Amino acid sequence: MKARIALLAFLAAWMPLASQGSEQGETKTITFSVGGGSVEFDFWEQLMRDFHAETGIDVELMRKPMDTGLHRQSLIVPLSTRKSDPDVFLMDVAWLAQIAASGWLAPLGPFLAKNGCVDRSVFFPHILALADTYEGSLVALPVFIDGGLLYYRTDLLRKYGLGGPPRTLDELLRYAKKVQAGERLTNPGFFAFVWQGAQNEGLICDFLEFAGKDGSFTVKDGSVSVDTPENRKALRFMHDLIHLHGVSPPNTYTEMKQEEVRRFFQDGNALFERNWPYAFALHEEEGSAVRGKIAIAPVPSFAPGRSVSTLGGWHVGISRFSDAKTESVRLLCFLTSYEVQKKMALHLGWNPGRRDVYEDRDVLERMPHFRKLQTAFENARPRPIVPYYSQLSEILQRHLNAALSGKSPPGEALATAQKQMQAIVSRYHRK
Amino acid sequence: MGALSGNLSPRGPAVAEELTRGEFARGYAFLLPLAVFVAVFIIVPVIGTFAGSLMQDVTFLPKRFAGAENYRAMLSDPGFWQALRFTCLFTLVSVPLELFLGLLFALLLARPSPARGLLRACVLIPWAIPAAVSGRLFQLIYNYHYGLANYLMGTFGLTDLPVSWLGTPAGAFVSLVAADAWKTTPFVAIILLAGLAGISQDLYLQAEIDRAGFVCRFTRVTLPLLSPVLVVALLFRTIDALRVFDLVFVLTGGGPGGSTTSLSLYGYNYFLGGDFGYGSAVSVVLFLIAFGLSVLYVRVGKFGRELA
Amino acid sequence: MSEERQVRTLHLAGALGMTIFSLGPILYMALTAASRRPDFLSHAAGFEFTVAHFDSVLRTASLHFPEYLRNSIVVSGASAALCVSIASPAAYAVTRLSLPGRVFFLLSVLAVSMFPPVSMVGYLFQVMGKLGWINTYQALVLPYTAWILPLSLWILTSYFAQVPADLDRAALIDGCSRLTILRKVIFPVAAPGIFSTALLAFIIAFNELLFAMMLSTDHAARTVPVGIALFEGLHGEIPWGVVMAASILTTIPVILLTLVFQRRIIQGLTRGAVKG
Repeated sequence: MKARIALLAFLAAWMPLASQGSEQGETKTITFSVGGGSVEFDFWEQLMRDFHAETGIDVELMRKPMDTGLHRQSLIVPLSTRKSDPDVFLMDVAWLAQIAASGWLAPLGPFLAKNGCVDRSVFFPHILALADTYEGSLVALPVFIDGGLLYYRTDLLRKYGLGGPPRTLDELLRYAKKVQAGERLTNPGFFAFVWQGAQNEGLICDFLEFAGKDGSFTVKDGSVSVDTPENRKALRFMHDLIHLHGVSPPNTYTEMKQEEVRRFFQDGNALFERNWPYAFALHEEEGSAVRGKIAIAPVPSFAPGRSVSTLGGWHVGISRFSDAKTESVRLLCFLTSYEVQKKMALHLGWNPGRRDVYEDRDVLERMPHFRKLQTAFENARPRPIVPYYSQLSEILQRHLNAALSGKSPPGEALATAQKQMQAIVSRYHRK
Repeated sequence: MGALSGNLSPRGPAVAEELTRGEFARGYAFLLPLAVFVAVFIIVPVIGTFAGSLMQDVTFLPKRFAGAENYRAMLSDPGFWQALRFTCLFTLVSVPLELFLGLLFALLLARPSPARGLLRACVLIPWAIPAAVSGRLFQLIYNYHYGLANYLMGTFGLTDLPVSWLGTPAGAFVSLVAADAWKTTPFVAIILLAGLAGISQDLYLQAEIDRAGFVCRFTRVTLPLLSPVLVVALLFRTIDALRVFDLVFVLTGGGPGGSTTSLSLYGYNYFLGGDFGYGSAVSVVLFLIAFGLSVLYVRVGKFGRELA
Repeated sequence: MSEERQVRTLHLAGALGMTIFSLGPILYMALTAASRRPDFLSHAAGFEFTVAHFDSVLRTASLHFPEYLRNSIVVSGASAALCVSIASPAAYAVTRLSLPGRVFFLLSVLAVSMFPPVSMVGYLFQVMGKLGWINTYQALVLPYTAWILPLSLWILTSYFAQVPADLDRAALIDGCSRLTILRKVIFPVAAPGIFSTALLAFIIAFNELLFAMMLSTDHAARTVPVGIALFEGLHGEIPWGVVMAASILTTIPVILLTLVFQRRIIQGLTRGAVKG
């Protein structure tokens, strides 16, 4: 009996010790949750050291999973239980709406007015208006932006006497067939066009880009629309790339996510790649087989000039339950300041959330393609900004992938997807 | 079966034929902490989940009573049916496989040999490590580019191209069954081993005297006497397979396309998607299935009668 | 070949196959953890030994692996201790005192162990959230204890039932209270059984994932299985060497425990399910 009491006492002693991690105390350390692999994490650590040097505020970094779904899940636990940690956190623009609509973000307006550290006009206006504003108040700021791009091999285009990058999908197909026929003689593993076809969020982004300005995926007034003739045409085109024309590898719809696509292209086995801007810096690294041989262009659509890239990227917000809001705002200002955004561009190849950095001389010197990026982002189109987007995405991904694998014809896939998504929308739509 | 087979009272004459009042109270007092713990941390949460399934409890919508709305939505939710189908299929495939392998292992382990202790320890190791670890391990084994599975397939010339295990529903299903079999066969083997030990050697001697061959001895002596234990193993494994979570979460994440999402994972995804009402409804369905099966088992196994 | 020889050869082959089946993947895990590249099977460079991954796992502060290990050990140890403490008196009462309703009690407890964890975790999550207990040790220890109590009760009942009642009676005649009997008579005799129960409880708590994922948020209370399940990767690619190194570090203590205490573990499991 005594032993048991002693044991329980011992246990009781541990509990306050354990609870410590989840409280702030008087030290006003703020926790900042980021996702990322080791390269990005080292950068964040250095950045936080700079922040500390500048302001004296301690920042504890929380490392979150890179997978966006897991990242979101791991934020829901502390936020829905009103924990004060993390104070500041990054959010994928795809699920920012869910966090905002759940009332977990502190409105930034009053703080920024007081601090005056950030001028709203430096950001891309439509992004701020669509993604970062909830029910009229600003709740997040863009840290970096993403939009899909077409990477292409300048050397191969030159070799086969083709002009600049393709301006329509038909042109892309023509180039692809020609180059692949030639390259296959020496490189049997060559596939002209690699893109994200595996069942993943990336698939939706690719799909919407192929559909271009004439395609659409909208949720309006409790009604979802994705089954349109232009979308069907795009989906059929994607299917044919793999099965009919054979210019995309057969494992496109089972294995090809962003990293697989990047590595395939980087090994020199493709002519075109659809990927996010992050790939550029990696392609240009030492040891890359495509170093110095690539350029970027907007992902073409069926008609010229109808390209649009899908808006991606990560935004930063402050938790409504943070107990160090003043310090958190300073971190926010720091992260969206010109110098820091420039550093992100130069060191990580990230695309800043601020427009003015795209015109910086040093940046343009290191990354001349940034000029094109700025235009692409001005016109980037977001996916539906609703709190339940993740559920819609899951359904659409599944059906798009089913069409790519040949399991269901594109029209049927989109029709079924729309019907199932409508059920979700009806259930979650706030009247 | 241990306590189940009626050995509740200790050997020797019963100690307490007539309990005094004080003993009575003390007896229940001894049971009280356990009862309280289980009531507070298991029964109440289950009731709470039942209640929660009747609410619209979404983080970005106002909370309100919703009656059977969640259940109605579930009936027309293809994701739910897919999870149900997968869970049932997974159970139907993996449990017999594990029983078969477990029996095989038990027979091998039952044979006296100098290395028996070591052998048993080796066989037990997969059971003892966390499912998260074995999930990751098999995720690597079934990796498309350089995993052990594709390496073996290639070396033995079974396929030309690497197999996309985790990128196709069928491949992912196979990977899960394999990983689960690896992890839980030891448990079945141990239970069956104990059952085998309970079979009197006299029966085997008698069978040998009757010139019964190896196979005959197995089918006429071993199997029938082992069947009660087999049923116990069947029950435990079935319930465990129905509520599988760890392995599925880590190995396939429920993909591709939700094709390997178990009911537990489906409910969990809704919880962490902010919809507690719907997640609770899914959990209730799984609960009813598991509970129903265990009640059926107790009925069929006639345990109450043996103990009374 | 005589039938005996046939059976013997089969047995040998079977034992070998069984061992390869059980330990092969573990070996693969260890090799990957110690190899510079995860694709050492197919890549021309082959296997290059390195301890860099282990170093990475233990030294990288942001991975918090040592904290996870600490949390796991504390939580599992506390749960095991609590389980045994609470289940012992109950097992005693069930085996010694012919209380009415004890059969129903045992069966109910058995039924409870069949509940799917997902049907409790949602509510627990919300309640713990309101109490501010998310990401604390008690948030994990208490549900774990409740969860493992049924199994502990069954195993201990089976062990206690084997302790002869004469010992009880002798002590009773000497005027000992029931509690003293439990402590001074039953415990020493059933000590191996109690140890088995605690060991099994520890292993089960250590390996648990669902509760840990939902009820903890960071290294203050997060456990090792969660850490391994949510291992961060670079741009979506998993760093296999480091993940396997972490896995090996996690499993080595468990493997050692299993090797040393295999008889106890097996006994415990068997008692919980089958007539021992």
